[in-house]
Amino acid sequence: MKRILIVDDAATVRMYHRNILETAGYAVEEAVNGIEALEKSLQQSFDLFVVDINMPKLDGYGFLRELRSQDVAQAPAIMVSTEAESNDHIRAYAAGANVYMVKPVKPDQLLINVKLLIGEACL
Amino acid sequence: MAFIKTHSAQSISEDERKQPRNCENLEAELDNPNPTTRRWAARDLVDCPKASVALVSHLEQEEDVSVREVILTSLTTLGDEVAVAGLVNCLSSEGVALRNEAIEAMKQLPDEVAPIMRKLLADANPDVRIFAVNILESLRHPDVEAWLIEVIENDPHLNVCATAVDLLGEVGSFAAKEPLLRLKARYFEEPYIQFAADLALKIINED
Amino acid sequence: MPASSISELDFEKFREFFYRKTGIQFEPSKRYFVDKRLEERIELTGSETFRSYFTMLRFEASGEELQHLTNLMTVNETYFFREEYQFQCLVNSLLPDIVQRKKDGNPIRIWAIPSSSGEEPYSIAIYLLEYWAGINNWDIEIISSDIDTQILGQARKGRYSARSVQHLPENVLRKYFTRVADEYQICEDLREAVEFTRVNLAEPADTRPYRNFDVIFCRNLLIYFDDVSRKAAAETFYDALKPGGFICLGHSESMSRISSLYKVRKFPEAIVYQKPLEAR
Repeated sequence: MKRILIVDDAATVRMYHRNILETAGYAVEEAVNGIEALEKSLQQSFDLFVVDINMPKLDGYGFLRELRSQDVAQAPAIMVSTEAESNDHIRAYAAGANVYMVKPVKPDQLLINVKLLIGEACL
Repeated sequence: MAFIKTHSAQSISEDERKQPRNCENLEAELDNPNPTTRRWAARDLVDCPKASVALVSHLEQEEDVSVREVILTSLTTLGDEVAVAGLVNCLSSEGVALRNEAIEAMKQLPDEVAPIMRKLLADANPDVRIFAVNILESLRHPDVEAWLIEVIENDPHLNVCATAVDLLGEVGSFAAKEPLLRLKARYFEEPYIQFAADLALKIINED
Repeated sequence: MPASSISELDFEKFREFFYRKTGIQFEPSKRYFVDKRLEERIELTGSETFRSYFTMLRFEASGEELQHLTNLMTVNETYFFREEYQFQCLVNSLLPDIVQRKKDGNPIRIWAIPSSSGEEPYSIAIYLLEYWAGINNWDIEIISSDIDTQILGQARKGRYSARSVQHLPENVLRKYFTRVADEYQICEDLREAVEFTRVNLAEPADTRPYRNFDVIFCRNLLIYFDDVSRKAAAETFYDALKPGGFICLGHSESMSRISSLYKVRKFPEAIVYQKPLEAR
């Protein structure tokens, strides 16, 4: 079973994403900010990250930059943010995200991106 | 080689600071090229009653995150009007880290932030309104639920409402029920709002 | 109130809130333990339901109830070799990392706070003597501090109950302790190996002289602090550490709830926080 780490400081958003992903057959872990996400991703292996940008302590950019600099197996990341009009998407890709999505995400759109990144599309 | 002891607290490490510790010198030291000196100045300024002005004006130009963190801790402890106004300014900053640090600091100042909450929730910039709702999360204030209800009833921005619903699940009472149902009707095609509102309603109904 | 009055959703909300405020995370297996203690506080505060208690907990400006609950949820028990994996991490990972980077012959400095009755700093000293070959090549300075002068006196004295030494291997116990009636006296050399000092972590004037440490142990202390004091403590440690210095927190604590100043370092034995090498 593919494992996905959801990183978001909002509990309801984590539950929403978890619900979508678990229903589609993925195993899900959660972290509430970038540092906790980093701790978890150094101790366990994941196939994908779904990462919010605005979080306390360490934001999504910081998490991805730090993760990408670590000597561990790297998984793709979907970055989600409430801000559609700023240049967040450029910063997200620069930090190491593979896909940028605007919140709130639609279940089918999230799943398409997940499948593409995990390599399960069209299976 | 073995264990050694320093034998007196004084010799644990010599106090390396050269300037006398008065408020004026401390403010000047905020511009010192050495971050350690700046951190100690920011930390010690907490005992200077008018330090918020200097700390706030230094905050936005400070590039070392470790110094910024100490400045924010001191501003939180000082917690006066100037400090709060400085933190509010940071909410519109382009720097994600600074913004989030300011939100964290404001969460610690419920009584000081409460009087300006209405203004923040009415800010023209939806991002600032989202941050304002984020701040409500840790605010121990009796009006939190009323503010959140106002947001989901009136705010035109989907994500501001979404953030508020998230929190209503934690603090919502029976009073939030009808507003949540109206929000669901307003955003009937938005799966996240349906999910979050249903969750909040479920918790409220459990009472 | 009946035992089943805390629903699954309520429990999740509480778990989330308590973690956010204290950094203490409950495994699902702790559900019974947590429920019991919550029910105790609900009854003692005269709350009618879990929800009314939770609302009070969240909005009480003094944070007093949260402190009561935290005390109840954390069993503050100290004994020799408690959370031993961190001492293993110290000798197998942290010290080798420090020594490899070290450019001078100055002593390696370790700060253990709170000292409590001394079990932790003495455990560090014993661990270094028993399990770290580098002790033959390097001077080590162990300083241990507490706010409580009475407990510092006890720590300096070094007299322990059988319960306190029960996790020590038999040979270690025989080597470093003498039995006195039904207690155990730590040997003179170890008493000499640790410097005990009084420090209030929340008082900058107290912590200012504490600098240039290679490792700080601060286990199960910050959970008793409020958010601002906890953040301030992490910032104080930042100035007490050398660049590249390490900080070890308690088993249930995580820097992720406290401060973003440290790098997360993964070692085989534990996750440890490090002041960035390039920091000044």
